[in-house]
This record gives sequence, C-alpha cells and structure tokens, in this order.
Amino acid sequence: MKGRWLFVSIAAVGLVPVVAFLLIVFWMGFWQGSPGDPVVYTLKHYRELFTDGSTYRTLLNTLGFASTTVLVSLFFAVPTAWLVERTDLPGKNLIFALVTIGALVPTFFTSMGWVFLLHPRIGVINKFLMEWFGLAQAPFNIASLLGMGWVEGLGLSSIAFIMIVATYRTMDPALEEAARVHGLGILRTLRYVTLPLTFPGIIAASIYIFTIGLSAFEVPAIIGMSNKIFTFSTFIFYKIQPQEELPSYGMAGAVSSILVVLALLLSWGYFRTLRFSHRYAVVTGKGYRPRLVELGKRGWLLAWLFLGGYFVVAKLLPFLLLVWASLLRFFQPPSWAALEQVSLRNFYGLPWNLLFQGAWNTVILMIAVPTLTLILCLAISWTVLRSGLKWRVTFDAVAFLPHAVPHLILAIAAVFASLFLLRDVVSLYGSLTILILVYTLSRISFATRIINNSLAQIHPELEEAAFVGGLRLLQVMRKILLPLLKPALVYAWLWMALLCFRELTMASVLVTSQGNVTLPMIVWGLWLGGSLNQAAAANLVVLGFMLPAVILYLYFGRRTRFTEAG
Amino acid sequence: MISITDLRKNFQSGDRAVAALQGIDLEVSKGEFFVLLGPSGSGKTTLLRSVAGLEKPDAGEISLNGKVMFSSSRRIAEPPEARGIGMVFQSYAIWPHLTVAENVGLVLTHGRFRLAKGEVQARIRHALSLVQLDDFESRPARLLSGGQQQRVALARALAVNPALLLMDEPLSNLDARLREEVRTNIKKLTNQLGITVLYVTHDQVEAMVLADRIAVMAQGEILQIGNPYELYRVPASSLVAEFFGSINWLHGKMLDSERVETEIGTLVIQVARQYEGNVVMGVRPEDVKLVHASADVENRFSGDVLATTFLGDQATSEVKIKNKILLAKTLPDDAKPVGAVLVHLPKEKIVVFPETVAEEHLV
Repeated sequence: MKGRWLFVSIAAVGLVPVVAFLLIVFWMGFWQGSPGDPVVYTLKHYRELFTDGSTYRTLLNTLGFASTTVLVSLFFAVPTAWLVERTDLPGKNLIFALVTIGALVPTFFTSMGWVFLLHPRIGVINKFLMEWFGLAQAPFNIASLLGMGWVEGLGLSSIAFIMIVATYRTMDPALEEAARVHGLGILRTLRYVTLPLTFPGIIAASIYIFTIGLSAFEVPAIIGMSNKIFTFSTFIFYKIQPQEELPSYGMAGAVSSILVVLALLLSWGYFRTLRFSHRYAVVTGKGYRPRLVELGKRGWLLAWLFLGGYFVVAKLLPFLLLVWASLLRFFQPPSWAALEQVSLRNFYGLPWNLLFQGAWNTVILMIAVPTLTLILCLAISWTVLRSGLKWRVTFDAVAFLPHAVPHLILAIAAVFASLFLLRDVVSLYGSLTILILVYTLSRISFATRIINNSLAQIHPELEEAAFVGGLRLLQVMRKILLPLLKPALVYAWLWMALLCFRELTMASVLVTSQGNVTLPMIVWGLWLGGSLNQAAAANLVVLGFMLPAVILYLYFGRRTRFTEAG
Repeated sequence: MISITDLRKNFQSGDRAVAALQGIDLEVSKGEFFVLLGPSGSGKTTLLRSVAGLEKPDAGEISLNGKVMFSSSRRIAEPPEARGIGMVFQSYAIWPHLTVAENVGLVLTHGRFRLAKGEVQARIRHALSLVQLDDFESRPARLLSGGQQQRVALARALAVNPALLLMDEPLSNLDARLREEVRTNIKKLTNQLGITVLYVTHDQVEAMVLADRIAVMAQGEILQIGNPYELYRVPASSLVAEFFGSINWLHGKMLDSERVETEIGTLVIQVARQYEGNVVMGVRPEDVKLVHASADVENRFSGDVLATTFLGDQATSEVKIKNKILLAKTLPDDAKPVGAVLVHLPKEKIVVFPETVAEEHLV
C-alpha cells in the first residue's frame, strides 16, 4: 500500500519518545551529578532508599492514601451505577451530565475547598462542631491520609462510576431476569447473580483507581506537602525542587523507577481482571431494556438523598467554600460579622498580567495538544489495526505506556532530557513547546483507545472498496475514515482540550518561567505562597475561563457519551 | 391456565409513544402448546415478558391458574419470582460463573420454591437427564456449546416443576440442523410432561411444527388465533395469509355473489360471506393446477410457463396468464419446463377479502 510507511513513521514519531523517556527514568536512578559535570554512575540512590526509614513511611502513606481513594470512590460509584442502570429512578440523564462535568472539575480546586472545610485550624466544619459541642480539638483533619484519600476518592468517583456502568451494560440483563423468574427475589438475585458477575468489573475498576491514586499528585501537593505528609509523587517532586539543597535527579529517578515498575505490574493486573470480566459479557443483540427494579416513592426519595448528598459533598460544598474564601481577606467561617468584610479585593489584587499570560498559554495548549495527539494517534491506530505490520502489537503496547507511567515521571524525564541531553541541541527547558510535547505524549493512551474502539467498528471492506475503486491511502483516510471517525475525534479533541485546564501535575515540574506559565500553576503558586484567599479567587477566574470550553464540549460532545476516561 | 384480558402497553421511544400491546385478549388451556407468532416489533415478546412479570403493562389483567398476577384496576403486580413459572431466554441466560449443576441448583436451593436439602441433588439429576446432559453436572457453564447451553436453560426452567413454561425464541441462536432436532425434542418433552407452554417465535414453520394453537400478532394486536391448519387454509385476513407461506394475489370486482372480474378473466369463488365492490383473492401455489385437458371449465385459463425450477421433491413454475404471473407448485413430473399450458384454480381453494388500502399493493 502506497503511503503506508508515512503512517507508520508518524506513529513511530509519537511512540519513540515514550520509550526514550522511560529509559531515561531508569538511567537517571544510576546517575549522579549536575549539568556539565562528567557523568558518574552509582548505586548510591537505591542504597539510600532501602536503608532510609522515610522511604518506608512514604510507601505506607502512599498505600494508605491510594486504598482510601479506592474505598471512597467505590462507596459513591457502585450504588450510583446500580441506581442508574437497574432501577426506575427518574432523572438519569441529569445524573450522567453531572457526573461527566464532575470529572472535569480540577482536583486542585476541590482540594482547596476541602482545606477550607476540614482543616484542623481554619476548617469551617471543624469550627462549627467545636463551637456547638464545646470540643477542645478539631474532630476532623483533612491533612491526613484519610482526609486526602477522601478528597481524591471523591474526585475519582466519576471515573469509577463510568467504568462500573460499563460492566453493567455489557452484562446480559437476562441473567438477572432468569433468576427472578425462577423464584429468586431482588436481594438474592443481587447476592447470587448480579454481584458475582459484576465483581471482576468492580475489582478491575479498583485496580485502575488504585493505580491513579498511587501516583496522584495534586491532592498530596496541596493538602499534604505543607503538612509534611509525603506520598511517592510529592516525594519525587521534592527531590527535584527541594527548598534548601540541590535537586537530586538521581534520587528522583530511583524512586520513579520503582513507581513505574509498580504501576506496570498493576496495569497488567488490571488487564487480567478486565479480560476475566469480559468472559461474562454477553452481547444479546436484543434491544429490550432490562427489567428495572421499582424503588417506589420512598426509594426514590432515599436514592435522591444519597445522590444529592454525593453531589453536594463532592462538588458543591468545596465550590461554595472557595467562593466564600475568595471574598474575604482572611479566612473565617461564615457569620454576620464576617459578611461585613466581604469584598472583591482579592480579585482586584490578582496578578492579572500573569493570569492573561497563563490564559494565552492555556489556549495555545488547548489547541495544539489535542490536534497533535489526534494526528499521532490516528497514525498509531491505523498502524495497529490496519497496516498488517508484523510489529503492530508493539505499537499497541507502547501506546498504552503513557497510561501506566505516572505523568509526573514523564514530565521529570522530559526536564532531565532538556537539561542534560538536549541542552546543546534545542532549548526546550522552560518553553511552552516542552509543555505541548509532554502533554501530547501523556494523552496518547487515551486518544489511541478512543480511536481504536471507533476504527474497530468500521469494516475494513469499506476502505478496500475504495482501494479497489482506485483511491490512494491518503484519499481513503480523508474521504472514508475521517468522516466516519469524526464523532469520536470531535469528542476526544474536546475532552483533551478541557483537560489542559486541570493539568497541574506535569506543569508542576515543566513550568519554570513566566513564558510557559499555565493557569493552574498560577493558582498553585498563590496557594504555596500562603495567599489562600487570593488562590481561591484565582481558582474562580480559571473556572470562568474554562466555562465557554465546557459549554462547547456539552454542545458538541453530547452525542458521543464517553465510555472510558483517561 | 393463562387468562389475559385487554392487556395494554406503550413504550416511550424518544419523544413518541409506541404501542407494543393494544388490548390483548387470550385464553390458553392447561397442557396446551401455545405459540405467539409475529414479525419483530409485533409485541409478542412484550406479551411473553408481561406474563413472566418482567414487563409491567399499562392496563389489563393477567391470571395464571386462576390466580390474578397482574391487574391494573386492582393494583396487583406480582413480582416474577412469585408467579411459579419456568422460562427459557433467547440468549439462554446461563450464569457463566456457575457449573451446569449449580445453574439448575441455584433456583432449587435459593428460589421461592426451594426444596429440602436432600431432594436437590436428585432433582438436578432428573432435570439434566430430561435434556440428556447427565454427565455434564460439574462442567463450567460458560464452556458449553450453544446447543448445550440451550439444554441447560431448558433443564433449569423445568427443574422447579412449573405449571407454565415460557420460551422466548429459544431456537433462534442455533444452526439450522440442530434447530430441527431440538424442536422435535421440545415437542416430545413438553407433551410427555403435560406442561402448558407459551412460546414466542417469528418462524412460521417452527410455529406450525410445535403448536397446538397459534396466535398471529402484528403491531401489538392479535390478528387471528387458531390451529396451524386453520391459519393456513382459512386466514382471517390477507396479512395472516401472507405470513404463512407464499400466496398469489388477484385483484377484482364482484359481478354477482359468486363471480369476480379479475385481471386474468372471470373467476368463480365459493365463499360463505357476501362481498361487494373490489376484492382481493389469494391462491396458494400448490393450488394452482397445471392441466392438459379438463372437463371442468370453471376457472380454467390458458397460460404460458415462463420458467420452471426443479427442487427435487417438487417443482415451481412461473405461469403467465394475460399480464399476470402466478406461481405454481407441482410434483416434479407434472411440471412442464416452458410453453403453453392450461391453468385450473379450484374455487374452494380461493380465499377472498374485501380490498382496502392495505391490500392494494398485494401481488
């Protein structure tokens, strides 16, 4: 096929850096020195890691945090998914819309909201409870593993919900109906049929969420770091950007290597479980809706109390607290006295020049990153599914890596490469280009999966008919594949564009100058500098910038509901 | 056994309501093999699922064995597990996480009609032996072939000794040869057990082989209920006649009470009812007789055989009379490959319906 090598080359351009970055991370762990020095190889970092007690504390912290995250997200996601898929609860479209938008709310945003709610010193809920019950100590502490896991779990509950809904969807409802018809009641059917059959799916979702929790950065960075509670991600970050000593890329490389191996193992476990759960999936081809469990009026009330409580706790409360905080000079719980202090001072005082620079950079990212990602991923998907190339499985496996490898580590590898390896070739450090490149690499897994799913549903004969008719590969791509893939492409483009607004993890090490500053970094900078109330105001400004894009997404993306979030 | 009165159900499809059941009345007696036959979207599956309690109708009444299971006016809606039925699903719905014996056993140990512990094993064996799966007890169910899964589904449905067995297109996922074999087994087994069966299919051959009586459904209504012979020979409407095998249609105008002016000439009919104006008449291909000479002059036309297809045990010929082409089915030796022929249409074999808009397109 003429043009085949063009596609394969484009695919390779996207995937080679992924492999390179991974190798760099492993290499970093054995490396010692500063830019310009002669390279010295050493095992020192690994020795230090395994003999230092703080490593084990960090490991325990990370495991505790990730486990709490899983439990919290399942606690909200499993009942919500069951209510939506198997009961006669009205308003399901609304629930879907709220959950989807919920997945877009930046984690640093809710994290700050929860600090205002549950911080032992300034937290509103703590203060009220202490006042009402005459407590000497704050009952809750957000700056703990449980507290951080709670916030992260609420944030990831959207993804958990979407995954668990998918397991319900792929399950033949007749399996449950067969139990009901032959004499099993609702509860026994749940116990003996529904639960055992959805269990592999729930386990798969748990592993998925656990993997994300393991390398999650924003919540530990915003809530944990200032209270000296480190998880792996913040530990690595601290080694790169310490406050007193010199950065230790070697140490960061060693920890990252361990984390990457752990994440790859978990991803392998995820796919094993997922395959197991797919064995239970039956495609019926019958269009009938499953028999819905009738909840009755009281059931509806309870269900809506649960769902309402979930949305209030997960999104509304943190948002309200940020609004309140943004209007005050010093944070204090709502009261009549505090109301007199309310003003827009924080908004006037914001570094507006920087914000506009950040907004401009974010707009460039929003356009460049999804476009570049889609071009690369179209080539990758085509290579994997259509090229007939011997190595196509390798392409598929490498395209999955950016999902398994923590994004913070991708970014660190990029910084390392720009500082030490490519310094004399191109100057990437501190540029917007490096942001575009790393963001793009990090989205390859997500976009490839979306395009793969879509392309797999297009019969190859549609293209073959065009080849037989004399069209060339590029024409087939333009005239046949692109129009057929358009809904998926539009959806993926919009989703990736929106993710640029909430991306703090990679930016935290990549943004090093005013020239490549992004909006989340400005918010975080204010927060780290101690201006909590200004950070709250900046947060709202970021949401304001984001709003038009969300409306576009809802308008264009509503027809293609997403099945898997990246 | 089954008694259904004025059952109604609408589905919301997008922003418009689709009537799935428009006032169904049905009586099925004990021990009867009753088939619901209709094209997809005719409401037959909705009716079956309503009987099972898997679908909640909007109005009407269903009773099984004299016990009211659903009544909109009396606000009764018994859940599926309380109805005491066995059911075979189109997808078989074999629980993939259990073995063959556990699939049958789950309903016996945890269902509403559970047995004492000691009896369960014997009942599982008995049910599996009914479908000739004696040696499969410990086999994981998901490793079975489609035909075996179908038999497990049947065993599971029969294990609770239901008075009523519901079957939703149970053969549609089997290949043609297996289908015939299973069809015969189902008929034998249900006869032997004396069980009442309500069976849904879109396959008219299947319906005719299995059924004591058939209800033909279309667009949420029952068009006709009868035994296979009645439905084939005395269809109540052109729709039912069309649904059972092929049929030639002629359009015409009544001249008097028994003579019709048609596109091939004057036709004599023999019907109990009086018709006036425009009518359509149907003749089955096997009733289109190709003759060489005949004393009978009634309904005899000269035509031309355009083409003949030999199918081994029979032959079909396309016969042109004036501008009309009729399909004739004959014994292979009676067929004439091509050329002039005399065609006889026996008047007692012609069905007649008044011509409405629905019949205008029939050929």
